[in-house]
Amino acid sequence: MSSLTLRNLQKSFGRVDVIRGVDLDVADGEFVVFVGPSGCGKSTLLRMISGLEDVTDGELRIGDRIVNEVQPARRGVAMVFQSYALYPHLNVRDNMGFGLKVRKVPVAERQRRVTEAATLLKLDTLLDRFPRELSGGQRQRVAIGRAIVGHPDVFLFDEPLSNLDAELRVHMRAEIAALHKRLGNTMIYVTHDQVEAMTLADKIVVLRDGRVEQVGSPRELYERPDNIFVAQFIGSPKMNILPASAAGGFGAQPDGTVHVGIRPEHLSLVAPDEGHIVGKVVIAEYTGAATLLHVTLAGGETCLVVVDGEAPEPDAQVGLTAHPKNLHYFDADGLAFGLSRA
Amino acid sequence: MTARAERAPWLTLKMREAMEAWIFLSPTLIGFLIFFVGPLIAVVVYSLSEWNLLSQQSTFVGLANYDDALFRNPDFWQVVRNSIVFAIGLVPLNMALALALALALSRRFPGVIFFRTVFFAPVVTSAVAWAIVWKFLLQGEAGFVNQMLAGIGIDGPNWLRHPDWAMVAVILTRVIKMVGLNMILYIAALQAIPRDYEAAARLEGASNWQIFRMIIWPLLGPTTLVIMVITTIGSFKVFDHIYLMTGGGPENGTLVLAFYIYQQGFQFFDVGYASALAMIMFVIVMTLTIVQLALRRRDT
Repeated sequence: MSSLTLRNLQKSFGRVDVIRGVDLDVADGEFVVFVGPSGCGKSTLLRMISGLEDVTDGELRIGDRIVNEVQPARRGVAMVFQSYALYPHLNVRDNMGFGLKVRKVPVAERQRRVTEAATLLKLDTLLDRFPRELSGGQRQRVAIGRAIVGHPDVFLFDEPLSNLDAELRVHMRAEIAALHKRLGNTMIYVTHDQVEAMTLADKIVVLRDGRVEQVGSPRELYERPDNIFVAQFIGSPKMNILPASAAGGFGAQPDGTVHVGIRPEHLSLVAPDEGHIVGKVVIAEYTGAATLLHVTLAGGETCLVVVDGEAPEPDAQVGLTAHPKNLHYFDADGLAFGLSRA
Repeated sequence: MTARAERAPWLTLKMREAMEAWIFLSPTLIGFLIFFVGPLIAVVVYSLSEWNLLSQQSTFVGLANYDDALFRNPDFWQVVRNSIVFAIGLVPLNMALALALALALSRRFPGVIFFRTVFFAPVVTSAVAWAIVWKFLLQGEAGFVNQMLAGIGIDGPNWLRHPDWAMVAVILTRVIKMVGLNMILYIAALQAIPRDYEAAARLEGASNWQIFRMIIWPLLGPTTLVIMVITTIGSFKVFDHIYLMTGGGPENGTLVLAFYIYQQGFQFFDVGYASALAMIMFVIVMTLTIVQLALRRRDT
């Protein structure tokens, strides 16, 4: 097992800067999730750690070794690809044992490790099947099994669940979490799905345009986002960001507040004359567990509200209240109060 | 609204679809019957006859033409041997070179399009122009190739007139002309292999050679089979190249089946015998193709 340290890590493709100075510490055995919108550089960062992409500048350390110039196979990492990358002409047994074979691990030892991993992942009955004969979830497990048999220090997952349907994704998510608990390895996981990030991570790294926007536990990111981008990226439905003037009814604001953020689930519906602010329901989306209301405020801003139980019909006038502790205040740069851009 | 029962059409939907399919298929089908099945049947019939094109007299002789070719005419077996030597020399060399070029040119780097064009250009070059240029280059002492060899102290033979070297020369020049086609097929196949396979293998510690041998080569299997079949068939059917470069000489050293059939049919006007030879060639090529397909199926 190993820790990981990234210092001012940079990557350019020609004149395009993709990773622009990332600093990050990953503790031994930690489950870290890189999350961000498409094109933010999260997969590139993962591939740099794996060695599949070289480092343009900065320092990459796995354990106490600087690995900038170390070959991928010698970094002690294993990767699970989005496409699974299972060799179609090899059966499950040979796919899982491929790495051991090329490293000339004796046959008996190879078989022992493949069987061990197959048992762990409940693949024992599928060892003679070819990838084309497996379901999406089974393929995913084989890809994880292939990573496990190499006994790596660090596991890298590149959007491993994005090709699965919603139900299977939830199931595999739980399996990966259980696997981490059982193996205790350092794991780095890339996803654009913030629910995956929230449920799996010890620590989330939010990336945008090749930069780290915030690093923290899921709770920290949800409760104390550093800026508007993180505030809106983490949480579903996303946080309402209102101009300070429209949110005046919620109470006193720190000097210099330009935007006020409030999560849809933290707004409460009251009668119009009892609300901090007032608006009109435009759309009501019933989702079963709750109803998502789209409420238009007096200034024309749209505000999302999650309502449990009975919800008003469209065109109804409603009042909205919020507890002051659930309000987030942002300055003109979009930074939360108490923070400043470096 | 109440549903109104429509009168059933005189053709059911299925029959109408079938009729449309036949209408669209018929031009190709008619062409296939006239230009492929017809001549094929004619060749079978001719091969059972003694038919001289000059005298226009045809007599049914049964299997006599086959008997002549297979058991009486020593030229035939030399021609078969020449064809096999040509195929054995050409097919592996062509495929190995095509694969090597494809591996080098399947990735993106500055100038890659230029190099692909250079290696593919001979495929679309006129066979006549190609033969003229190579005949000139391969001339005895005055030839460019021999002058180059002389520069490094090698006394080159008269390539196209030497009984031992003529076959080598026609094979090499044919490989250079046609390798671009197989190269393109291999490039397409290589580019269809997801890059993640290579990345995964590299992460697991595989060397370049191991990646090629254990991942790339097996995945190229179907393409290799197609290339092997079409190149083998092409090598047995080679005609223009031999006709233009050596005319089958020297001493029948490059006389291959297709050219021999042409000689018998259109120079000696023995259409019956030529047709029997054509049928034998058809059987040889068909057998080779079936064997190759069977071998491939066994491997997978």
